[in-house]
Amino acid sequence: MTVPVSRPWSVGLALTLGILMALVPGHAFASDATGDFEPSSSELVESPEEFDGDTIIFTGEVIGEMMTRGDMAWLHLNDDAYRDRNVEEGAPLGGYNSGMAVWIPLESTKGELTFGDHEHEGDVVRISGTFNAACPEHGGDMDIHASSLEVVTPGHRVDDPVSPVKVVWAIVLSMIALVAFLADRLRARVEDTMGV
Amino acid sequence: MLLRPRREDHLVIGKYTGKIVIGIGFLMVVPLLTSIAFGEWDTVVDFVISISLCMAFGYGTQAVCRTDRDLGWSHGLVVASSSWLVATAIGAMPHWLSGHMGSYLDAMFDVMSGYTTTGLYLMQDLDHIAHGLNMWRHLLTFAGGQGIVVIALTFLFKGAAGAYTVYVGEGKDERLLPNVVQTARAIWLVSLVWLAIGAAALAIAGLALGQDPVRAVLHGLWVYMGAWSTGGFAPQSYNTLYYHSLAYELIAIVVMIAGSFNFALHWAVWTGNRREIRRNVETVSFAITLTLLVLIATFALAKAGVYSDAMVLFRKVFYQLASGHTTTGFSTIYSRAFVTQWGPIGMLATTIAMAIGASACSTAGGIKGIRVGVIAKAFLQDIRKWVSPEHALITERYHHIRDITLSDGLVRSAMTITIAYVLLYALMTLAGVLYGYDFADAVFEGVSAASNTGLSCGVTSPSMPEGLKALYIFAMWLGRLEFMSVFVLGGYAVSLVRGRR
Repeated sequence: MTVPVSRPWSVGLALTLGILMALVPGHAFASDATGDFEPSSSELVESPEEFDGDTIIFTGEVIGEMMTRGDMAWLHLNDDAYRDRNVEEGAPLGGYNSGMAVWIPLESTKGELTFGDHEHEGDVVRISGTFNAACPEHGGDMDIHASSLEVVTPGHRVDDPVSPVKVVWAIVLSMIALVAFLADRLRARVEDTMGV
Repeated sequence: MLLRPRREDHLVIGKYTGKIVIGIGFLMVVPLLTSIAFGEWDTVVDFVISISLCMAFGYGTQAVCRTDRDLGWSHGLVVASSSWLVATAIGAMPHWLSGHMGSYLDAMFDVMSGYTTTGLYLMQDLDHIAHGLNMWRHLLTFAGGQGIVVIALTFLFKGAAGAYTVYVGEGKDERLLPNVVQTARAIWLVSLVWLAIGAAALAIAGLALGQDPVRAVLHGLWVYMGAWSTGGFAPQSYNTLYYHSLAYELIAIVVMIAGSFNFALHWAVWTGNRREIRRNVETVSFAITLTLLVLIATFALAKAGVYSDAMVLFRKVFYQLASGHTTTGFSTIYSRAFVTQWGPIGMLATTIAMAIGASACSTAGGIKGIRVGVIAKAFLQDIRKWVSPEHALITERYHHIRDITLSDGLVRSAMTITIAYVLLYALMTLAGVLYGYDFADAVFEGVSAASNTGLSCGVTSPSMPEGLKALYIFAMWLGRLEFMSVFVLGGYAVSLVRGRR
């Protein structure tokens, strides 16, 4: 078999086509070195059929709590604007929370995880697993059945200091409320005394 | 001819509006104590500021508006509608101070959504909010379900004869007991007994699902409040999908259906008349329309092959449809899944369910089963007249606590409110389309807001146009109060300018 010698214009055409194909949406979502896709939760919700049954990688902050069911557990991973820093820590507002429910063997969660809530920014973890657009095993829920979990960034406790400006406002308004209450009572008493 | 209100009219309206705002202030003590218990000191300060504002406004207004005059009919209606606006404006303070809202309008949107038991929200980073703020979100939807006027009637209106008009102005017109204050207390009694049972059942389910005891109790209480009030708020952004539990869903369904029943029906059952559940026109109407709509959505989704298993399909469809029909707004699917998975027929079935809504004099919104029942009976009566001999006397009856003969007046009244709802739904749809949303999305979301349901297909978001947020606030308010008191408030405003002395 002879390999045709490429002409310069055909090399240029091939390169251009290659670049265009890389830009054209087919599976126009990020993939890692292993070839597994790493879609966001928004992409999964917007195109569930496209990813149904695919092995994907998903990274997000674990929030709420782990709900164990025998040897398995439910985790909820948020990959939103608050994944690394939440509003209580001073992160700018970046829309709703968004994420995915993850069904994972208990042993894969390896020890204590920090879960995101008012007092904590949760661990950011990366999981690999199968995406289900409507999981028949879990009542049709959209979920990921994960097989592995890796902590990418450990969570931490969040301080929510009291704003001194707010304290001043609280004192001033409390005084005004007290004055209004006393004025109301006083006027009622005066009217009672005068028999109005 | 409009008469310009006199000073005495303003005083009586101001006095009772002040009382209701004081009631809101007292209500905020519950989230304040919650935040103290969990050491959320910044949130504690937020609630001190908000309570102080309520008290300053309420007592200040009372001090200025001193009068012994009792509420007249129009006063009561103006108090009902205006107090909801004032309560929303002041009640939004804890939301806004939390730093989780994009603007004060967003905060008012969430609070109006709570009071009106709608359940749409614009709060950002919900999964990191304080327990105190979560308590406030759910408490205001629970209070809104009973009616914030009912709260004030229970605790603050000492036997005012005109109190009944304020009660009616809030969209409730059943007298369970001869005295309206006793009626308000009866509503509380029913709700609190359900609270004890429902919250305990959900907390036990939460414990079994692996929640720690404190979270199980709090989630049980909050999900109960969201279900009973047909509000649809939930403590996590995943709504009730968070629990992945059939048991949790079943308990939520029982509570939200119970919450969507007329308080008069609850009271009848409470006093031993259990047959009322089967005979009442509202429960019959609800059962028929829910069954039909579940069948339609099940057929459409089965055809589309979204869910591979029949039981899974039924579970998903029944939950979302029951939630929509009771105007609760709980969901176990992502908002956008209505568009990306359920498709036009699934969305249409859900939209119709939301539009109809549940029972009158309940925590639910929408056109209401009793009106659908009355209009259906009138329709059947007309058909029977057409096919009967010319001089035949055809009468139609329906059962609501007692047997009632259908009259033209009843049908006209049901049709008037139904047309008003349909116009409101159309207006919200038009607004959505004009703002550039797809027609199906605009109908779904517009009906959801105006029927106080709270299911979303993704239109409602912090980045939605400010004008649409304001329109949805208006629709939630109008839909919850069932038009009359809002129209009277409008008339009051016009009479201030154009009324004759």
